[in-house]
Amino acid sequence: MSTEAVVSTIKESAAIHAPLRVAGRSTWLDAGRPVRADKTISLHDDSGVVSYVPGDLTLTVRAGTPLSEIERVTAEHEQWLPLDPYGSAEGTIGATIATASAGPLASSFGLPRDLLLGLEFVTGRGDVVRGGGKVVKNVAGFDLSRLLTGAWGTLGVITEVTLRLYAVPAVDRTFTVVLDGSEREMASLIRGIITSPLAPYALLLLNPSAARAVGLGEHPVCLVRFGGNDAVVQAQINALSQIARPKETETAVWLRVRELDGNAHTTIRVVSLPQRFLAASARILGEDVPGIHTSIDPRRGVLRLIVGAGVGDSDVGISAIGASGDLQKNGADASDVIFEKLPAEVWREVSPSVVSDDLSRGIKRAFDPHHILNPGILGD
Amino acid sequence: MTQPTPASTPAHSSLARSPVAERMAEIVGERHVLNRPSELLVYNSDGLPGYRRQPKLAVFPGTREETIAVVRLLAEEGLSFVPRGAGTGLSGGALADDIVVVGLHRLKKIISLDIENRRATVEPGVVNLRLNKFVAPHGLLYAPDPSSEAACTIGGNVAENAGGPHCLKYGVTLNHVLAMTVLLPSGDVVELGSKLGERDGYDLRGAFIGSEGCFGLALDITVKLMPRPQTVRTLLADFMSVDAAAHVTSAIIASGIVPAALEFMDGPTIRVVEDSIYAAGYPRDAEAILLIELDGLEAGVSADLEAVRRICLDGGARNVKVARDDAERMKLWQGRKKAFGAMGRLAPHLIVQDAVIPRTRLPEILDTIHRISEKYGVVVCNVFHAGDGNLHPNIAYSADDPAESERVHKAMTEIMQTCIDAGGSITGEHGVGLDKMGYMESIFSDSSLNAMCELRGVFDPERRSNPGKVVPIHACKEWNAVSGDRLRMGAARSEPRPLEADPPRPSAQ
Repeated sequence: MSTEAVVSTIKESAAIHAPLRVAGRSTWLDAGRPVRADKTISLHDDSGVVSYVPGDLTLTVRAGTPLSEIERVTAEHEQWLPLDPYGSAEGTIGATIATASAGPLASSFGLPRDLLLGLEFVTGRGDVVRGGGKVVKNVAGFDLSRLLTGAWGTLGVITEVTLRLYAVPAVDRTFTVVLDGSEREMASLIRGIITSPLAPYALLLLNPSAARAVGLGEHPVCLVRFGGNDAVVQAQINALSQIARPKETETAVWLRVRELDGNAHTTIRVVSLPQRFLAASARILGEDVPGIHTSIDPRRGVLRLIVGAGVGDSDVGISAIGASGDLQKNGADASDVIFEKLPAEVWREVSPSVVSDDLSRGIKRAFDPHHILNPGILGD
Repeated sequence: MTQPTPASTPAHSSLARSPVAERMAEIVGERHVLNRPSELLVYNSDGLPGYRRQPKLAVFPGTREETIAVVRLLAEEGLSFVPRGAGTGLSGGALADDIVVVGLHRLKKIISLDIENRRATVEPGVVNLRLNKFVAPHGLLYAPDPSSEAACTIGGNVAENAGGPHCLKYGVTLNHVLAMTVLLPSGDVVELGSKLGERDGYDLRGAFIGSEGCFGLALDITVKLMPRPQTVRTLLADFMSVDAAAHVTSAIIASGIVPAALEFMDGPTIRVVEDSIYAAGYPRDAEAILLIELDGLEAGVSADLEAVRRICLDGGARNVKVARDDAERMKLWQGRKKAFGAMGRLAPHLIVQDAVIPRTRLPEILDTIHRISEKYGVVVCNVFHAGDGNLHPNIAYSADDPAESERVHKAMTEIMQTCIDAGGSITGEHGVGLDKMGYMESIFSDSSLNAMCELRGVFDPERRSNPGKVVPIHACKEWNAVSGDRLRMGAARSEPRPLEADPPRPSAQ
C-alpha cells in the first residue's frame, strides 16, 4: 500500500471514527495487547529499496520490506543492518521500528532507535509527516523518529524508513561456553567472561530449555559472537580461551535463537542493571522449567522469558516472579517488567496502560485525535 | 524588537516595575537575579556571534528546588523564558528577546556515579569535560565530546542533542542518555526514560533530547558511560589538495572501518590554527589534513591503522604521521578543537554552518563550496566531522562592513542550498535555534513542521519555553487559525512570531 493509499484509508476511517489495525506481514500480530479494530491496514505489499548508496552506508526502504530482504540487498555490497529482533526474519522493518524490537546484537550496535536516521509516517489525521532525514547525523527539528519508534503504530503508520548500515565484518565467529558445575562455579565463569576486556558483537546466556531448543545440549550455555578484522577476533578468542573452554558453533545458531519466540504465547522482558544480572544469572539459568526458555543479555540488562504451549500460567508467574525477585535483591525498583506478548485474556489483569501519563495522552491526542490507530495495543 | 507571547503581555509591563524580579530574588537570592541592562549584556549573545538579543531578566537558581520554584513563578505569571547552560551554543538558541533567562550553570552537582553499571546522574549545569575528568580515574568515559567540552554543560548537550568528533563511532547525546527528570514549562516534574535503559511506552526521552529548550528543562540527567578503550591511536594525514583528502574520507568510510573520529581541516583553517596559540604542528603548506583516530582492542586497532594508512597514501597523502604518545595526540586534537576560536584572529565576526551531506558527495560538494567562495570573494574555512559528512564551512568577516556582510550572507545561503539539494540536513549538531529556522521549510513539509509544533504544544501548550525558535511559528496550523481569527476581528496581533521574519541574516545587530 503506497503512502497515498495509506492516507486515503486513514482519512476514510477518521471520517467515521472506525479503528484500524496496522500490520506489516502479520508475523508478530499476536504481540502487544489485543487491538479493537475490524479493519486492517496492511503494509506488506509496499516493499523495496527507495535509495541505497553503499558508500554512504545508509539505506532507505519502504516500511513493508522484510528484514530478510534488507539482509539480501545489503549483503551484495558486503554491508548489513545489525538488527536481529526476536521473531521471524520475514517480519518487516516497519514493524521492527514500530515495536522497537531488538535482539542480541543490540548490546553492541544499539536498539532500533539508535540505527534509525529518519522516517515517513501518516498520522491518524491522514497527514504525511517526515522526521529526521537521510544522513547519518541530524538535529534539524524535533525528534519525530524516536517518538514513532516503539509507539506500536498508535501515533502514525510508518511508510518509509532510513537506516544506518555497517560493513559486514571480515570475520564473524560464534562460540559457546557450557556452563555446568555448581551454581558457584557457573557464577564465577559468567563473571569472568563478562568482566574481561572482550568486546563481542553479542553475548547471550541461555537456560537448559533454550539451549536444548537451539540444539546446544542440556546445560546452560553462554553464546559469544566475535566480529571485526582477523586480528581482533583472534585476540578475543585467545583471551576467552584463558578463562573458559569455548567451542565454535555456526553463526546460524543466532537465527534459531531469534526463532525461540516462534510458538510462544507469552514473552516477558525483565530489565535491570547489568551488575544485578552478574549476581543473579547463575541462579536464574540453573532453574529449568521445561517449556520456558530463558535468555539473559547481561550487557544490555535484559532477561527474556519465552513461554511455549503447554506451560500453565502459574509456572510462568512463578518464573517471572522468581527472576524478578533475584534481580531485586539488595534494592527495590531494581528491575522493570515489560510484557511483549501474553494470552489475550491475561493482558488486562497483568499490565495496565503504558501510555497513561499526561504527556503520552497529549501526544496521542495530537497525532491520532480520532483514536483510530491500533486502539488498545498499548493499553488505554 | 519585542514580540511578547499573548499570555505574557500584561506581565511584561510588570517586569519593568520588577515585582517579578523581587519575587525571583526571594527564591534564589538577590545576587542571582540580574535586572539592569548593563548586567544583562553578558547574556545578550551565545556562542554564535552575529545575533544579539537583550533579555529582560536573568535568574540563576542554585538548587533543584529553586529551579522548580522559579519556573512555577514564571508559569503563574505567564512569562516566557529561555533555559540556558553555558551559552556556548552555535545557533542563537539560548538568546532571550526581552524575556527571562533561566541560567542553570549553578546546578553542577554530580549526583551519583555507578561505576559497576557504568552510569552517572548529573545536574544540568555539570560541564561536559568535568564529568569526563570525574569518571576517568575509574576507567570510564562519557562519549559525546563537543568541541566546547571544556565549557558546555550536559543540560545544554541534551537540549541540542550535541555531537562531537567521537560521535562518528559512538553516537550523539541521544544514544548516551538513559533518563531525565524534566521540569515542564507548567512547573510539573516528570521522569522520562529509565535508568535501567529500556521501558515501554512512548520514547519521551528521545523526543525531549534535541528539543532545544522548547519542551522545558532537565533537572537531572542519567547518562551511560563506556569503558575507556584499551588502545587509542591518532593519525595525521596531510594532502596537497582538498579533493584528495575528500576522496580519502569517502574511501575510509566505504572500507567499513569505523574510526573513532575522522576530522577534516582545509588549508585556510590549518594556517589560522598554526598562527594562533593553539598551534598543533600541522604542516602549514598543506591544502588539507585529516585527523583520524582509531580505538578499541590493541590487536584490531593495529590492523585498522595499517589499512587506514594505506588508504591515505594510495589516495595521495603526502605524509601520514602517527602520534607517538598521549601528549602528541592531545596537541593534534587541541588544534582541531580550538579551530573555531582561532578564527577570531581573522575578523571580528564568524558565521558558522553545520550542514550534513551524504558522505559519498563530499569531494563534489567541497569543490562547489570552493567555487561559491570565489564567486563572492569570501574566505571559507572548512573544519569538520568528515566521517559523518557534517560540514562546518565558516566565514570570518566584519559585520560592520555592509557590503561584505551581504556577500557572506549570499555565499552561505548558496552553500546551504547546495547541501540541501544533495539530500542533506541543515544542522548536524548545533541545532536550528534562531540561525537556521529560515531553512526549516526547505527540508520539511508543512505537515511535518505542523507535527513538530503539535509535539511542542504537548510539552509546552503556552509556548513559553524558548519561544520563536526551531520551527517557524507560521508553520503551526493551529496557531495560525487563532491568529487569523484575531486579525479578522481586528484584534492586535500579539501571538509569538519568529524573531526573524525573513530567513535569518548573519549580520550583527
